Amino acid sequence: MIRTEALAVSRGTFALRDVSLDVPAGGWLALLGASGSGKTTLLEALAGLVPARGRVWLAGRDVTDVPAEARHVGLVPQDALLFPHLDVAGNIGFGLARRGRAAAVADAASLAGAAELLGRRTRGLSGGERQRVALARVLARRPPVLLLDEPLGALDAPVRRALHHELAALHRRLGFTVIHVTHDLQEALAAATLVGVLEDGTLVQLGAPGDVARRPATAGVAALVGTENVIAGTIRADAPPSGVPFTARLDAGPVALRGLAVREGPGHAAIRATDVTLSADPVRSSAQNQLPAVVRECAVSGALARVTLDAGVPLVAVVTRESAEALGLAPGRKIHAQIKATSVHLV
Amino acid sequence: MPVRSSLGLATAIAGALVVLFLATPIATLLVRAAGAGGIGAAVVDPAVQAAFRLTAVAAAAATAIGLVVGVPLGYVLARGTFRGREWLEALVELPVVIPHPVAGIAILLAFGRLGPLGRLTGASLVGSSAGIVACMLFVGLPFLVAAAREGFALVDPRLEAVARTLGVSPLEAAVRVALPLAARSIVSGAVLMWARAVSEFGAIAVVAYHPRVASILVYDRFTTAGLAGALPVAALLVVVALLVFTLLRTLARPLPALR
Repeated sequence: MIRTEALAVSRGTFALRDVSLDVPAGGWLALLGASGSGKTTLLEALAGLVPARGRVWLAGRDVTDVPAEARHVGLVPQDALLFPHLDVAGNIGFGLARRGRAAAVADAASLAGAAELLGRRTRGLSGGERQRVALARVLARRPPVLLLDEPLGALDAPVRRALHHELAALHRRLGFTVIHVTHDLQEALAAATLVGVLEDGTLVQLGAPGDVARRPATAGVAALVGTENVIAGTIRADAPPSGVPFTARLDAGPVALRGLAVREGPGHAAIRATDVTLSADPVRSSAQNQLPAVVRECAVSGALARVTLDAGVPLVAVVTRESAEALGLAPGRKIHAQIKATSVHLV
Repeated sequence: MPVRSSLGLATAIAGALVVLFLATPIATLLVRAAGAGGIGAAVVDPAVQAAFRLTAVAAAAATAIGLVVGVPLGYVLARGTFRGREWLEALVELPVVIPHPVAGIAILLAFGRLGPLGRLTGASLVGSSAGIVACMLFVGLPFLVAAAREGFALVDPRLEAVARTLGVSPLEAAVRVALPLAARSIVSGAVLMWARAVSEFGAIAVVAYHPRVASILVYDRFTTAGLAGALPVAALLVVVALLVFTLLRTLARPLPALR
């Protein structure tokens, strides 16, 4: 397990603020965030590489005052950071005692798919091979906690996919707890049991992947998890809120969108494109948001059509190809969009 | 390509001028010494042999001490972010800019019989091999520290951070990761320091004129026997320095092969 309580790091003008998280043993936390949001700093603080305030527990042990070398975590950086003066076997065996090293190196190399690289120098290895060696170097010590700092970020898509699947399989087999920094949403949603989002040094959301994708906590999270419609405006409650979430409306220029909010004031409506339904005529339904709109673009790709609308505010809907054809969606077509208030997240 | 060819011409002319400027005095000295037929006599001269032996050993001792104390200092200067680092760097580089007789006087005052160390222990570096080593260390150390600092600065500190997550202490990470990767710079610095120590005259002349090192012997022969007396020893010193320096450079090159 990985647990932090009010973990904070100050680094020049940047500050990681009071990060509290809990990843159960064997869990996989995908950490998303823009560049400079503090993802790497958080991993470094967990690994004990930067001075930090707050408390850290790793694998059930309070390691707050434990130096990096005794925390027993495995760190795989984006650029692998292999030791250039050592060969592959030297890298994998770096942290191992002399006794039994050869067998442990061979075992770890085999686990990471780097067995055929043993005996090679690090110079000349491809990006994927370098990451396999970096992974083997970490696995050789069998740490209960793995910190992956975008290890696949610089790789070609096929190599990236293959390595990600192998990582997920290793995770299932060995049961280590993972924090995986990534920019790739699909990667985050595929293997993760939890998704966390950092914004400017603050953990703004932590939850199950589906929850974060469906109910982003901020406009930034919505953008990160691929929410197609993020509309700025002012959030006003229907009545004085008695709890959260409460029903409210977002005034965005000529359009008012009803939805569920957790606070009032300037904010955004986050709406997934698949939650926008289209009809040729106004319909009576439970959807509280009925918006007349004009089709600006209809892009068909495979079984789906991505429809860009002007509903007073730009709006994107995704419908099936058959629906698009049935409604005759083409630029200039007048249409009606419906969105349930429960699908409008006012953040 | 007119730009490239004019650039090539300019660099060739500049390079040729530099080579000419450096080589002319050396070549003249060697030719004059060969004409005088004295290099052979200098080789078998017991005083010359003793002076050369003392020079080589003292320079090697100074370099060894420099490695022990200068490499950790270079690491601290490359990695440390402490208050007063600029002052420490300036202090370490000071011997490069002060005239060496001044350095000799400073060493004399600090480590002579009337200096703080001498008053405490009764020992003095004046007129001793230890005094020669002290002078060589004083004037040569800045070259080694600067080279070590540059070498360590080129090593990505994240490599040491990764090493620490693999279970090694900061000291072990520095020794097993940073040191091998900075070795090429450190060896170059050591070679430079040794060479600088061999060529030292001003500070040694003040602190330890006796026993004579090679540079002092050349000066001594010049003042007592004139140019004819000094020329064979000077030429021999140039030849030996050239051979040893080239050898050290050649040996140093493949040492820290990055793989």
